[in-house]
Amino acid sequence: MTTNSNSTHIDSNGNMVFTRVFDAPRELVWKAWTEPEHLMRWWGPATFTSPAAKIDLRVGGKYHWCMRSPEGQDFWSTGTFREISPMDRLVMTDAFSNEQGDIVSPTEYGLPAETAMEFLFSLTFEDLGGKTRMTLVHSGMPAGEMREMSLQGMNESLDKLAESLKQPQR
Amino acid sequence: MTTIYEALADPTRRRILELLRERPRMVGDLADLLNISQPGVSKQLRVLREVGLVQVRQDAQRRWYELRLEPLIELDQWLAAFRESWERRLDRLDAYLNELQGKEETDDHE
Repeated sequence: MTTNSNSTHIDSNGNMVFTRVFDAPRELVWKAWTEPEHLMRWWGPATFTSPAAKIDLRVGGKYHWCMRSPEGQDFWSTGTFREISPMDRLVMTDAFSNEQGDIVSPTEYGLPAETAMEFLFSLTFEDLGGKTRMTLVHSGMPAGEMREMSLQGMNESLDKLAESLKQPQR
Repeated sequence: MTTIYEALADPTRRRILELLRERPRMVGDLADLLNISQPGVSKQLRVLREVGLVQVRQDAQRRWYELRLEPLIELDQWLAAFRESWERRLDRLDAYLNELQGKEETDDHE
C-alpha cells in the first residue's frame, strides 16, 4: 500500500511539512485524529503504545495525550485547539507536558535547551474521492521561528558537514 | 544570548563555517576570502564562539579559528529524530485506518 504522494519537506518559512495520502475517507481520518479511542490506537511510533488521551474538541479546548516507549518512558504532550473546521482543518498548539498536563521544558525530555516551548501544528484534510490527502505543517521548529532565516541553506550546510564527518578532517 | 539557530541564520556566518570546514584559519585569511574587514569577521566569529560552533587555538603568535561540529551534530540529530518520530506515527495511522476498514496490511515486512 505505498503511494508516491507521501513526502516530507521543509518550506521556506522553516516549517516541517508532511504530506500523506491515506486510503480512507476523510471522516475516518478526522476521527482518528480527534477521538481519543481512535488516537490511542496509533499515537506513537510502531513499538510505542498510547496509554492516555483526552481531547476537548472546541476552539480554546485542550488535549492531553501520551505515548509510551518500549522501555516504559512516557512522552506527554498538551496543547490548545486554535481552529476547528470539521473534516477539513485542525490547528493546535503543541508542547511537552507532564502527566498533570502542565507544560514542561523540552530539556526534561532530553532535547536541546534552544527548542521552542510550544509548537504549532496544522492539519488539512482533502477528499480525493474515498482517499484522503492529509497535510501536517509543523511550525515553531527550532529554526522556524526566525522568519528571515534560510533553513534550506542551513540544511545544505548541515548535510555537507555531516558528510565531512565521514572523512578525516583537513 | 544568541542561540545556535540565530547564529546559523546569517549567510556570512554560514560562509565562515564552510570555510572553516576546509581547515582552521586566521582572521586575516577569512577577511580576504570573504572580502570583508577584519573587525567585521571578528564580530561574526565572536557570535560563532558564543554558541560553541567555533573555537580558538593559540599557536605561538597566531590564533587559529576552528570549527566545532558537536552543536551541529546535536541539532541535525534532533531534526532527524523529530522527523522520523512523525513519519513513524503517520505510518501507524495509515495501518490503523486500513485496519478499521478491514483491509489487509500489505507492507508488513519493514
